Amino acid sequence: MGFIGNAIYFAFHPIQLRSIIQWKVWHNPPHERNEKNDTETQKICYKFLDQTSRSFSAVIKELHPELLLPVTVFYLVLRGLDTIEDDTSIPLETKEPLLRNFKDFLTQDGWNFTGNRPEEKDRELLVQFQSIIVEFKNMKPAYQAIVKDITDKMGNGMADYCVKAATEDASVKTVEEYDLYCYYVAGLVGEGLTRLFVEAEFGNPALLKRPELQKSMGLFLQKTNIIRDIREDFDDERRFWPKEIWSKHVDNFEDLFKPEHKEAALNCNSEMILNALEHVEECLFYLAGLREQSVFNFCAIPQSMAIATLELCFRNYAVFERNVKITKGDACELMVQSTQNLNVLCETFRRLTRAIHKKNTPKDPNFLKISIVCGKIEKFIETIFPTQKAEDAQRRVKGELSRAELEKRKAEADSKSDVFFLMAIMGVIIFLVAGVMMVAAWFLGARFDLAWQEIRSGNFRPPAITQKEL
Amino acid sequence: MPDGSMNSKRVIVSGGTGFVGAAIARSLADKHPGCAIIILDLSPPRPQHALPDEVEFVQVDVASMAEVRKTLQTVKPDIVIHTAGIVPALADRFGRRLERDVWRTNVQGTKNMLDAAAECGVKAFIYTSSCCVTTDDMRFPYPNINEEWPTSPTSLIYGESKAAAEALVLQDSCSQMATCSLRPSVLFGPGDYQLIPSIHACIAKYQTPFIIGDGFNLWDVTHVSNVADAHVLAAENLMTSRTAAGEAFFIQNNEPITFRDFCLAIWAQFGHVPPFEIHIPKALAYVAGFVCELATWATRSSTTLSRGSVRDACAMRYACGDKAKFVLGYEPRIGIEEGIRLSCEVST
Repeated sequence: MGFIGNAIYFAFHPIQLRSIIQWKVWHNPPHERNEKNDTETQKICYKFLDQTSRSFSAVIKELHPELLLPVTVFYLVLRGLDTIEDDTSIPLETKEPLLRNFKDFLTQDGWNFTGNRPEEKDRELLVQFQSIIVEFKNMKPAYQAIVKDITDKMGNGMADYCVKAATEDASVKTVEEYDLYCYYVAGLVGEGLTRLFVEAEFGNPALLKRPELQKSMGLFLQKTNIIRDIREDFDDERRFWPKEIWSKHVDNFEDLFKPEHKEAALNCNSEMILNALEHVEECLFYLAGLREQSVFNFCAIPQSMAIATLELCFRNYAVFERNVKITKGDACELMVQSTQNLNVLCETFRRLTRAIHKKNTPKDPNFLKISIVCGKIEKFIETIFPTQKAEDAQRRVKGELSRAELEKRKAEADSKSDVFFLMAIMGVIIFLVAGVMMVAAWFLGARFDLAWQEIRSGNFRPPAITQKEL
Repeated sequence: MPDGSMNSKRVIVSGGTGFVGAAIARSLADKHPGCAIIILDLSPPRPQHALPDEVEFVQVDVASMAEVRKTLQTVKPDIVIHTAGIVPALADRFGRRLERDVWRTNVQGTKNMLDAAAECGVKAFIYTSSCCVTTDDMRFPYPNINEEWPTSPTSLIYGESKAAAEALVLQDSCSQMATCSLRPSVLFGPGDYQLIPSIHACIAKYQTPFIIGDGFNLWDVTHVSNVADAHVLAAENLMTSRTAAGEAFFIQNNEPITFRDFCLAIWAQFGHVPPFEIHIPKALAYVAGFVCELATWATRSSTTLSRGSVRDACAMRYACGDKAKFVLGYEPRIGIEEGIRLSCEVST
C-alpha cells in the first residue's frame, strides 16, 4: 500500500491512526539502549536480531540491560538451530550430529557454518556465528548454563523429529503430539527465558516450581501461529493441525480448504482455537509472577497479540484462503495496553475473550466448551482483580457507606445547594423582568382588569375575529 | 470412606422424594452401601425421582414439631441431611403471596429438625441452603463471590427464608452435633421440573431470538448429582475431621456460563438454533416487565416477564468454589455439557 493508499485507509479508520500515533508518541521504553558503548561483536548481534525478527527485536531491545544481551544471544542461538533444521538441502547424516552437538559449538571459538543453501534467509547468521560465540562467552556463567541447556534439549528434540520425518510419518496425529511439538519449538524457549528472568531476580522464583505456567506461555503463542498460518503452511506442505482434531470435521486434511466443506473447516478452526484458549489462564498467572517492567512488556506484548490474533481468526474463513494479520493500528493499541500493568492487560484479555465469545455459535459442536472456557477466563481475571469485594458487600447490607461514597454524597450535596442558589436567582430575575414588562404594558394602556374578567368567565382565548368585522 | 466412619450409620434425608433429596439418597447408597437411609417427606416417592432400593420412607410434615420429634425418636439417626423446603415457582418468586407458607416450611421446618436432632443425639446435621441467601438481593451484581459475602436479610421470600434458616443451623453447631450448610446454585439434571422445561418451552413460544441485556452476564448452574456428592462429602467431613462444622459452602459446577449460552445449548440439544437475534436493552425490558406486571395484576393471570425476571436474566451471579474444594474436597464430577445431555435425554 503506497502513501495514497495509506492516507485513504486511515481517513476511514481514524482510530487505527490514533493508536499508532499514541504508541509512537507516548511509549517510553523502560530502558534505553546506549548504542555508543556497544562492542563490534555486540553490534553484529543486534544487526542479526533486527534481520531475523522484526517483531521480537523491538521488545528485546527494550529489555533491562542485565538481560538484553543474554536474551539476544539466546534468541540468535535458537535461530541458528532453526536455520539448520529448516534447510532441506542438508542431508540427515550431516544434520543430525550438527543439531545434537550444537550446544558444544557455543563454546568453540571461531565456530561457524557455511553449509546452508544460498536461499536460506538466515544463512548469514551461521556464517558469522563466531561473533555470537564471543558474546555467549562474555555472559555470566549462570546465563551460559541456561542457554546451553535449552540448546541441548532443543537440538536433540529437532534431531529426533528429523530422524522421525526421514524414517516414518512425522505428521502430528494426537493432541498430545501437537503439544509436544509446540513444547519443543516454543515451550522450551519459555523455560529458558523464565530461568533467565529468575536468575536475574526479575521473576518470582515460584515460577520455576510451576513449569506448566511457562509451558503454557510458549504453547499459547505457538498454537496461535499454527492456527493463523494454516494456509501458508499448507501451501508449503507442512501440517501442524493434529489429525485427532481435524479428522472429527473432515475426512482428508485437504478438504479443509475446499469451499464445500466450509462449515466443517470453521468448526475445526474453532476447536483448534478452543484448544489454544485453554492456556490463557496459566499465561495470565505467569505474567503475575514477573517483577520488572521491561520483562513484563517483553512477555505481555506477544501474549496480547496472540489473543487478538485468535479473536481475528475465530470462525473466520479467510484463514483458509490467505494469511490474515491484525492491523498495525490494532497492534499499536495492544502494545500500549501490554506495556502498563497486569490489570490493564487483563482488561484487554477480557475484551478480546468476550469478542470471541460473541462469535461463538450454537451450530458449532464445541459451542458449550468454548463458552465455558471463555467464562473460566473471565472468572480467573475476576479472581486476580475483583471488581467487587466481600467487605463492600458486607457494608452495603448493613446500610453503611464506604468513605468514597460518603465523600461523593457530600460533594453531591454541595453541588445541589449551588444549583438551588442559581435557580433562586433566576427566579427572582424572571419575576422582576415580568413585573417591569407588565408595568410598562399598563402605562401603555393595557386593560389587565378586562383580561382578568374574561378569564374568570372562562374565555381563555380572544374572541374570534371574523372576516366581516375586518 | 476407608475408615468406615460412615459404615452402618443411620442417615435421615428430609425432602428425600424430591429432586435434590432423591439424588442425595442415590449418591449416598452408591458410595456408602452400609448406610441405612430413611427418607422423610410430605409426599410419597415420585416416579420421576428414582430412589435406591432399600430405603425406608416416613411421611412427615417438617413444619409439625410433634411429627418430626416422634419420627426422629423412633429412627434414632446419626446423620441428618435436611433438604426439605419450598422453592416458589417463577410466578411467585418475586411476590410475597407465599411468604407465610415458605417461612413455615423453610424456617420453622428447619428449626424443628434442628431441635429434634439435637434431642436425639444426632452427630452431624447438613442443611441444603441456596446461593439465593446472598444473591436474591437483586440490587447488586455477584461476580466470583465467596463465603465471606454477607447473606441478605431483605431480598426475596425464598432467599430471606433460606438465610434465616441457615443462620439457625450454623449457630447450633457444637461438639455434640456438628452442622454445616451447602449453598447450591441453580440446579438442573434429570427430573428437573423447572429450569430445563421452562427453557425448552421458549422454543414453542418463539421467544428464543430475544436477548435481554448484553448477554455476557455469567451464572452458575449445578448438576444435581454434583450437589448430591457435595452432601455426601459434607457428611463424611462432619463424621471425621469436622473441619466444615459451622461453615457454609457455595456449591456449583465451577463452570460459570452466560445464561444465554446455557439456553442456546439446551435449545441446540432439541435441534433448535434461533434463526436470528434481537437484542433488547435492559432498561426497555425492565419497563416492559413492569407493564406486564400491571397487566397481570389487572387481569389476575400469570406472566413470565416481570421486573424480577428481567433482573434475573441480566444478573451476574457466580461463586468461587475454592472453599468447598479445599475443605470438603468437592469437585464437580459431571460437567455442564454432559449434564445438559443427560437432562435433555430424559426430557425428550
